[in-house]
Amino acid sequence: MPLLILLIPSLLFLVAVFALPLFRYTWLSFHADSVMTGLVAIPNQGANWQRFIHDTRYLQDLFQTLRFSVVSVTAEIVLGLVIALILHQPMRKRALIRSSALIPWALPTTVMALGWRWIFNTPYGPIDRLTQSWLGQSLNALGEPSIAWITTVYADIWKTTPFVALILLAGLQTIPSDLYEAAKLEGAGSWICLRRITIPLLLPYLGLALMFRLAQAFGVFDLVQVMTGGGPASSTESIALYAYWNALRFLDFGYSATIMIGSFVILSSLILITWLVVTTARNRSQQSLAR
Amino acid sequence: MFTIRKRSLILLTAAILFISSSLLCLSVLAKRPDNVSILMAAPFADSTSELVKIFNQKNRGRIHLEVIKGPLETEAISDLAISSLLLGNTPFDGLLMDVTWVPKYAKAGWLESLDNYFNEDDLNALAEGADEGNHYQGSLLRWPLNADIGLLYWRTDLMDEPPRTPQELESISQKLQNGGRIPYGYVWQGKQYEGLSCVFLEIIDGFGGEWFSPDSGRIGLDEPPGLDASEWLNHLIQTGVSPRAVTNFAESEALQSFKSGQAAFMRNWPYAWAELQKNDSQVRNKVGITTMVAEKGHQPAATLGSWGLSLLKGSAHPESTVEAFKFLTSEESQRYLYTKYGNTPTKAEIFNDQKLLENYPSLQSIGEALAYARSRPETPLYAQISVVLQRKLSSSLTGMTTPVEAMQQAERSTAQVLEAAGESP
Repeated sequence: MPLLILLIPSLLFLVAVFALPLFRYTWLSFHADSVMTGLVAIPNQGANWQRFIHDTRYLQDLFQTLRFSVVSVTAEIVLGLVIALILHQPMRKRALIRSSALIPWALPTTVMALGWRWIFNTPYGPIDRLTQSWLGQSLNALGEPSIAWITTVYADIWKTTPFVALILLAGLQTIPSDLYEAAKLEGAGSWICLRRITIPLLLPYLGLALMFRLAQAFGVFDLVQVMTGGGPASSTESIALYAYWNALRFLDFGYSATIMIGSFVILSSLILITWLVVTTARNRSQQSLAR
Repeated sequence: MFTIRKRSLILLTAAILFISSSLLCLSVLAKRPDNVSILMAAPFADSTSELVKIFNQKNRGRIHLEVIKGPLETEAISDLAISSLLLGNTPFDGLLMDVTWVPKYAKAGWLESLDNYFNEDDLNALAEGADEGNHYQGSLLRWPLNADIGLLYWRTDLMDEPPRTPQELESISQKLQNGGRIPYGYVWQGKQYEGLSCVFLEIIDGFGGEWFSPDSGRIGLDEPPGLDASEWLNHLIQTGVSPRAVTNFAESEALQSFKSGQAAFMRNWPYAWAELQKNDSQVRNKVGITTMVAEKGHQPAATLGSWGLSLLKGSAHPESTVEAFKFLTSEESQRYLYTKYGNTPTKAEIFNDQKLLENYPSLQSIGEALAYARSRPETPLYAQISVVLQRKLSSSLTGMTTPVEAMQQAERSTAQVLEAAGESP
């Protein structure tokens, strides 16, 4: 009982930060609250949700956001693991190398997005200059809908792989080295060690990195806003950008709230599924380890 | 006895000191000047900084004007202003507003009417075209600081006369390109952003159509002029008159390309003129300006992109704020802003100033083009319908849909936007 009392302040804090906005937005999603109503909330019997279900633009944004999240997070996990394994090796000036690997993560997103925007600029950016001289053709990276989204993925990978590597590096350091020694004595090579020791013991950290990154990537906003503004042909527009536009540009808070709540439900189920998959994988690997 | 007297003496002195000092404070407070603050986009905050100093010197002790320097980009300024207005009490007295924001801000109830501060004579002194986009539902809500319009820049060294129709523009470009005299014909703003809507407005009007009429609720995208405009822009890219990269061009990219002598024509705002006369420009003294091309029998159109000052509701010093507006937009200030920064004036008199015209010959062409100024649809839902158009145009320009499909979809989506907002199309 006294324990519960001690928990009250933090519970109150959580309610204020998470529950209240959620309730408020859910309430708002059943109201018309826009510039046309003079910014006054008027109940509209689920008209927002009706619009949401039939909103092809949202559907396109959802697809694009998922595409962005899945591709960039997968690449970041793989690359992050490789970098973590390298940084884990004993080497000279390891502290210096480890901290310099974190530089992209330390840069503010808007700054690095601006940088990438210029690197991919047509026809003056260095990438375009390269393709012009090698292939004799401009890449037009940010003006071509089929390529533009890849540039945003690329910039995201560049920035957040160090973050994933950092989490995995922390995980690697928790694995006792005698496990490897024992395996080596039994005649296991490095591949077997990686598959049978490193990856299974790293699973909780992989899951953590996966969930962190998935949640972040799903809400991607600043990177897209600065790099492409959602274009060309809306091919890089994310859900967060769409919700933001509805609120601040269109002054349609009712619909913006609907987009956010709808996306929240989708994201939560996504995270839940990921978590279930990761925990069953972990249980299975623990069983096989026990065997 | 003595100690008590001493203590009371000290208390008394302290009380006197306290009362007199607070009286002094009050009198200073009473004489404090009205603090007026105006939020402006960075380039305007910079260009008006000298004027603000002069104003504050003139009104020392009465009004203190402070210009708050906002971000560079139009949309970023709007986001900043809106987020503070949404929180209730406005932190600014005035806001420098883009022409397209007026209906939205008015409908949201953030603007104070200026009808009592400017009279008929003031309005009549504005140049033709500069008087557009300041009213919403009959009341004056914005006083123009500059008059921005879309212009066609052309190379005087490559042709004798600028093209007047879309066909002429294309044929001149192709002739020059085929003769190897220039890599590209025409550069414009084809990126998915507001600039693309401005480009399109000029073309659809030039083909004799109208994008959207808020009064009648009629959408003109899926009609012959709209389809022609959409096809023509597409055609420019397909035939190589415009580079493929225009699909990611904003003003600065188009300027960059034209300035380095890569193109025969450019669509841009008046600010580009000064840039093209700089030392690093390859086309210095080789540029003319005119209105956008239009189909035979139709008037050319120049998208109005002016900035103006609005009084925000809740301002503590409306009178002093308007006084600052009047100073910043006075003839003298406009002359200074034009000659020093190339800000297009709004007063008719300045366009007729022979002395000024001698030194700045481009002013005449700008004044002529200003008469063709056209506002973008004046509705609180403008941002939505513009985004719909940008999105569909961008998909057609990048080859995701055909130009005709793009217009059909844009028309349908625009109707949906209007319907969802309770404005039946």
